[in-house]
Amino acid sequence: MSASCERAIVLAGDLHARPAGALAVAAGRFASAVSVTAGGHTADAKSVLGVMGLGATSGQNVTVAAAGPDAREAVAALIAILSEATKVGGLTDAVWVYGKRLVAGWVAC
Amino acid sequence: MTAQPMSTGTVGIVLVSHSAELAAGAAHLAAQVCGGTVTIVSAGGTDDGDLGTSAAKVARGIAEAEHGAGVVVLPDLGSAVLTVRAVLEDYGEAGSVMLADAPFVEGAVAATVTAAAGGDLKAVAAAAEEARHVRKL
Repeated sequence: MSASCERAIVLAGDLHARPAGALAVAAGRFASAVSVTAGGHTADAKSVLGVMGLGATSGQNVTVAAAGPDAREAVAALIAILSEATKVGGLTDAVWVYGKRLVAGWVAC
Repeated sequence: MTAQPMSTGTVGIVLVSHSAELAAGAAHLAAQVCGGTVTIVSAGGTDDGDLGTSAAKVARGIAEAEHGAGVVVLPDLGSAVLTVRAVLEDYGEAGSVMLADAPFVEGAVAATVTAAAGGDLKAVAAAAEEARHVRKL
């Protein structure tokens, strides 16, 4: 079953290389197409260079959107990663497990 | 040559640079961005430690990076390509090794992230090559 899902979050920190990497690694494990939008620019969430190129910074509103068979899970995982990985010291092993553990309790759409 | 932690079944990456420091630094950066779950081997400099490339280092790097899913090799400049091609001619199973035409640092990071996400050999090579088209400004 195909679905679409979208959710926004305010970044707790800048979307630097490592959080962008965590995000892209996670996004790449989902079948759905996933995008990240910030400051009027949209990037493929599976492209780490595209995500870094957004230049998203602390306090900025970021939207994650997905379309496909696992769209809800993808958005939940990526929002969880964005909420954790951009915090100072927030890039823990749990985040690297592409948000699966963090998805528990999250209802994206 | 520096190897980062591996995970079985993931496409491996070999970074071939004229400079050992440049290859090692790019490998370190790519490992940090992907979370350290991909084998990234740096093959930089000559056997004597000078600027240049070494077929022996490249061959060892490919063997070290291969965990059953194939290896993507990224060269930095001109003659690094020639060195890699010479190695691949002798390698036999050339189908399991792909030479990517990509910007060195961006390609290394993009390829590694795609490998960490479980991408196959073609997807990892494509991610490296697409790095050329992603603007950073």
